[in-house]
Amino acid sequence: MAEIVGVFAASHTPVMLNFPGLIAEGDLAEVQAGFAELGRRIAACRAQAIVVISDDHMHNFFLDNLPAFAIGAAEGYETPIEAWLKADKRVLPGDPVLGAYLVGEAYEAGFDPALSLNLTLDHGTLTPLELAGVDRTTPIVPVLVNCVQPPLPTMRRCLELGGFLGRALRVYTGVDRVAVLATGGLSHDVGTPRMGLVNEAFDRGFLNHLGGGDAAALLDFATRQVNEAGNGAEEVRMWLTAHGIAGPGGLDVIYYKGLPDWYAGIGVAQWRLET
Amino acid sequence: MSRNWVQAIPSPEAYWINRVLYDTQHKPAEMARFDADPAAYCRDMPLTEAAKAHLAGPDIGQLYLAGANPYLLRAHCLHLRIPEADYLGALRAVAEDPAGG
Repeated sequence: MAEIVGVFAASHTPVMLNFPGLIAEGDLAEVQAGFAELGRRIAACRAQAIVVISDDHMHNFFLDNLPAFAIGAAEGYETPIEAWLKADKRVLPGDPVLGAYLVGEAYEAGFDPALSLNLTLDHGTLTPLELAGVDRTTPIVPVLVNCVQPPLPTMRRCLELGGFLGRALRVYTGVDRVAVLATGGLSHDVGTPRMGLVNEAFDRGFLNHLGGGDAAALLDFATRQVNEAGNGAEEVRMWLTAHGIAGPGGLDVIYYKGLPDWYAGIGVAQWRLET
Repeated sequence: MSRNWVQAIPSPEAYWINRVLYDTQHKPAEMARFDADPAAYCRDMPLTEAAKAHLAGPDIGQLYLAGANPYLLRAHCLHLRIPEADYLGALRAVAEDPAGG
């Protein structure tokens, strides 16, 4: 059965790739070092597949059909969908068997994610992989959480989905080693009057709650405070999903700083897994 | 208290505003048609005259208040090469309070 060999999370923003120099030179060096450390840790996991939990920024999904959760089961994923993103066009290899397995197990467990065999992934998935230098040959399974257009799944549901994913992955027999990378957040606004503001108090409070063992307090904090942290902070749902997979073993914050000139609080972290 | 979204559920008008923003971003032919004449593009849409004018303008702040998805609106403004300061200024001009709420 598969071992979950690493659970990670990192913020994403197109500015990281398109205009990295908007922040001070020292900050840029520090955040790049944080992502490089993330890449080293993911590489050390020697994962045979990576479950990447992110969101679709209104590219694959629209108001015609807007799933709260979607799981990819394709052999590959073209990326990036944004023509303006400064990243090589490429195809990320997929693990269709693991993706299909997760969808099937989800239905049995009382979750109803959408299934997709044709996703073109955006900066939300690609940016952390790119900055961390993750091996381009490791297959991924995208898990997409709607964080960009209400109605959004509740914070609680995202944590519960993570609990399900963790249980399903640990009894999966198709690979021996699987890693998880959640991407999004932390505090930021996109396309609102508050754009450019970050909320470091929210970010540090959220990271502290992830590091603690009180799931109720974590959910209460995220649910009650997210409106003070911006519409981009709704992406903490991905961190909650990762937390549900990892369990309450604690969090190692690799990097955090509020970077208003990148329009976001940028965090990189790894969960401590109980052995 | 601050809030992250103008609408908890998109209104029918917000759907059509977002339809324009989505189609023009993802379908080159739609984008070309919009770029050629924004007002003509919007003319037959099931939108109020005000919403059509906000799209054709564009009036970024009013589109935001009408329920334009912030990510679609952001991409639209980038395509139109609206200077960042103007884009942010238009959004901040419709803030509920001067602190940005």
